[in-house]
Amino acid sequence: MKVTIKSWTGVATWRWIANDENCGICRMSFESTCPECALPGDDCPLVWGVCSHCFHMHCIVKWLNLQPLNKQCPMCRQSWKFNVH
Amino acid sequence: MCDFDALWSDVLRIFPVLGGANAVSNDPVEENVFQNVRQHLMMLGSIDTFAALVDLEIQSTIRNVLVPKFWKHIHDCLVSSKLQGWINDQALAIEALPDKNGLFTQFIDAINELHDSFQSLMQVKPRLIQLVGAETKPAGKTVKLMQEDGIKNSLRDCLLAQLPPNFSVVVGAFYWVHFKLFTKASNLALTTVDSDVFDELLCVGCNFEAEQCCCQRLTDMVNKTNMKLFEMNLIDRLTGSALTALIKLKIKEHISDTCMGIFDRSHLKQLETWLSDVIMSWLTNIFTEWKSKDSINDIEVPESVKSFKVKLTYFMYETFAQSVIGQFFSIIIDYPDSIPAIDDLKICMEKIDMRVYLTESLRSSLEARILHPGVNTMDILTGYVAAIKAIRHLDSTGVILEMVTAPIKDYLRKRNDTVRRVVTGLTEEGPTDLSEELAKGETIKECKDSGTDEFSNWENWQPDPFGIDASIMQYNSSRKMRSADIISMVVDIYGSKELFMTEYRNLMADRLLAQLDFNSEKEIRNLELLKIRFGESLLHSCEVMLKDVTDSKRINAHIHSDGDRTENQLFDISSLIVSAQFWPSFNKESLQLPEEIENEFKKYTKAYEAYKGNRTLNWRTVTGRVNIEIEIGDRTMEMVVSPILAVIIYHFQNKNEWAIEDLSSITKVPASALRRRLSFWQNHGLISETTPGIFTLLEKESEKSQYEDMSLAEADEEDLESAMASASDQREEELQVFWSYIVGMLTNLDSMPIDRIHQMLKLFASHSGGVEFTQDELKHFLQRKVREHKLIFSGGVYQLAK
Repeated sequence: MKVTIKSWTGVATWRWIANDENCGICRMSFESTCPECALPGDDCPLVWGVCSHCFHMHCIVKWLNLQPLNKQCPMCRQSWKFNVH
Repeated sequence: MCDFDALWSDVLRIFPVLGGANAVSNDPVEENVFQNVRQHLMMLGSIDTFAALVDLEIQSTIRNVLVPKFWKHIHDCLVSSKLQGWINDQALAIEALPDKNGLFTQFIDAINELHDSFQSLMQVKPRLIQLVGAETKPAGKTVKLMQEDGIKNSLRDCLLAQLPPNFSVVVGAFYWVHFKLFTKASNLALTTVDSDVFDELLCVGCNFEAEQCCCQRLTDMVNKTNMKLFEMNLIDRLTGSALTALIKLKIKEHISDTCMGIFDRSHLKQLETWLSDVIMSWLTNIFTEWKSKDSINDIEVPESVKSFKVKLTYFMYETFAQSVIGQFFSIIIDYPDSIPAIDDLKICMEKIDMRVYLTESLRSSLEARILHPGVNTMDILTGYVAAIKAIRHLDSTGVILEMVTAPIKDYLRKRNDTVRRVVTGLTEEGPTDLSEELAKGETIKECKDSGTDEFSNWENWQPDPFGIDASIMQYNSSRKMRSADIISMVVDIYGSKELFMTEYRNLMADRLLAQLDFNSEKEIRNLELLKIRFGESLLHSCEVMLKDVTDSKRINAHIHSDGDRTENQLFDISSLIVSAQFWPSFNKESLQLPEEIENEFKKYTKAYEAYKGNRTLNWRTVTGRVNIEIEIGDRTMEMVVSPILAVIIYHFQNKNEWAIEDLSSITKVPASALRRRLSFWQNHGLISETTPGIFTLLEKESEKSQYEDMSLAEADEEDLESAMASASDQREEELQVFWSYIVGMLTNLDSMPIDRIHQMLKLFASHSGGVEFTQDELKHFLQRKVREHKLIFSGGVYQLAK
């Protein structure tokens, strides 16, 4: 007997490749959205700092805008730099 | 001095009554006899005494002779017609009479005899006046005779005093025949099928053969009798109640003949015409027909007929309303074809207060017809929606609606598939018209507006309609709720939109996963409609879910267009990529794919990762659809099956015989579930269980091949199993949050009853995410923990298991 699979329609869940589950700022899951967004994923992406911490982009931008002088990572207090892949 | 014997014989000639003889002769008496008697009596000075004597004698004749004789007649009638006992309902008694025509003639005879006696008594009065002299006024107060209508009154008094209970039946029978004659005469007799058939044989009126019809004769007899009754002033008192009962019976018959089960046209006009044309002209006929035409110069309706009319119109409305209310369930089901009937009822309700009767009867008929286990939830919902529409039409304030539908709501709340049915009704074409209602897109009022409505808009405030039992109205049923639209009324069954929306989400997830065709246009349309009604926030998850579907379509297209990947792939993979946070949680089934298949998925994941940076996929292998082609012997089968089925048959490629345990460990599917799936392939004649627990591939075409045709249908059935965790599972998961609290509490306080645990948790719950739950739910949760041996329940308190 020979079984040939012609096509397969599957179901998968997507997730961010990150070393944590929740955004350190809004405490929402990464796969969910920041408080301002409605749609997850492309519309509410994650960003990584060189310190390897990651946040919802909207959350960290908002945080950084609130810091008048030295922009620091809210987790480790190192100065914040975006880690561009 | 004078000859007393001669005087007495003269007196007897004038007043035969005094002789005690029943014979009432009316021989004319000469003037000189009067003169003679008068002279003598004047001389004796006892003319007053004499008048009193005559009066007394007449009274006693009426009481002892006339009236008993008359009643004896009536009694004989009843005995001969074998009517026994006292029948309470006059109408029923009339209907049940076996021999109406017999009673009819006997009644006429009795009245005739009574009238003859009455006539001769009446002659006494002018004679007495002649004797006594009109100018002298004797002590008239004591002599009833001299008063106007004196004899009539005493006759009536005596008759009524000895009235036998069944008398009205005889009168009823008399008028029953008369009515028949009358309706026939005025060509208004209802031509039912029966009468059509017998028309040629028997006269409808008198039941004689048509050639010998005696209707005219009978009618004359009736008219004479009526006249006699009227002359004796008896017609109202003696026949009134029987007549009313008879007419009521006729009205009831007429309504049930003409209006029963017909809701699509209005009846009130026609009924009113019938009442005035048939009944009222009949009554007028009874009261006036016997008069010569010139005595009623302008066709003047007697006072008694007028009062009859008021009474009967009221009764007709009442009967009609009762008949409509009695059939209101069918009216509801027929809505909107039954609108004319509802309009009729509306008019009746304005005249007669039937509100309480309506609610009571409708509640009980609804309970009897739809609120029992034998009825589909869908049918109950259909009935509920129809009832809302129909009752709305009847009563725009919504008070009746509220009272009538309360039991339906209560009942629907107890059915666990209600929400599911409502959602199905909303999204699919069905008998409930809910989808149409949704498409109408009426928006519910903003809560803020209606909350302040009663206070800010007080000038337009209207009190609730009367006739409401305050205890039935629930305290929370504000004006706003009563004026809500149908969708809100249906969603309102559960009292919360949230629960409803959760169920909607679950059902939508099931549908999307079952179809997997990345076609969500219809869902999007429904969602937009629902959003208008329930607001965006509750439906946010659903929106994300639908966006996942369209995104997946794009991602699949992108990955498929990638040239490198398509070169050495085994098969095409499409995937529905979902945002887990927004979907209902999946159930926990798992499936290990064979290595070469898994590699294909890894390739897809890689492509995805390349496309969407920093993101990866977790495959949910259990769910999906696989298009496979099986070549066995000289047969090829192509079918669409679930992944588990595909994996099972895939494993049989390399090894013809599997022990169920081995297959279970290699696929990571529990043996029991695996056995269920294997039966699918057994049905197809590909695999058989040769020895218990061992499954073998059947290479040769076996006798089981006739099952082939069923392949697709059965595969579809398998797909119907929900991939989602059920709502109650999700609920338990929510409660799981509290388990640590409960453990903490019981560690500190050793043992607690359930209500204290519930109270304590409610304190915590207000801080942690605000999960609301009832004591019942908690009890279920704790009982499960007891079953799992984590708690001990004894003496009404829970303890931690040591």
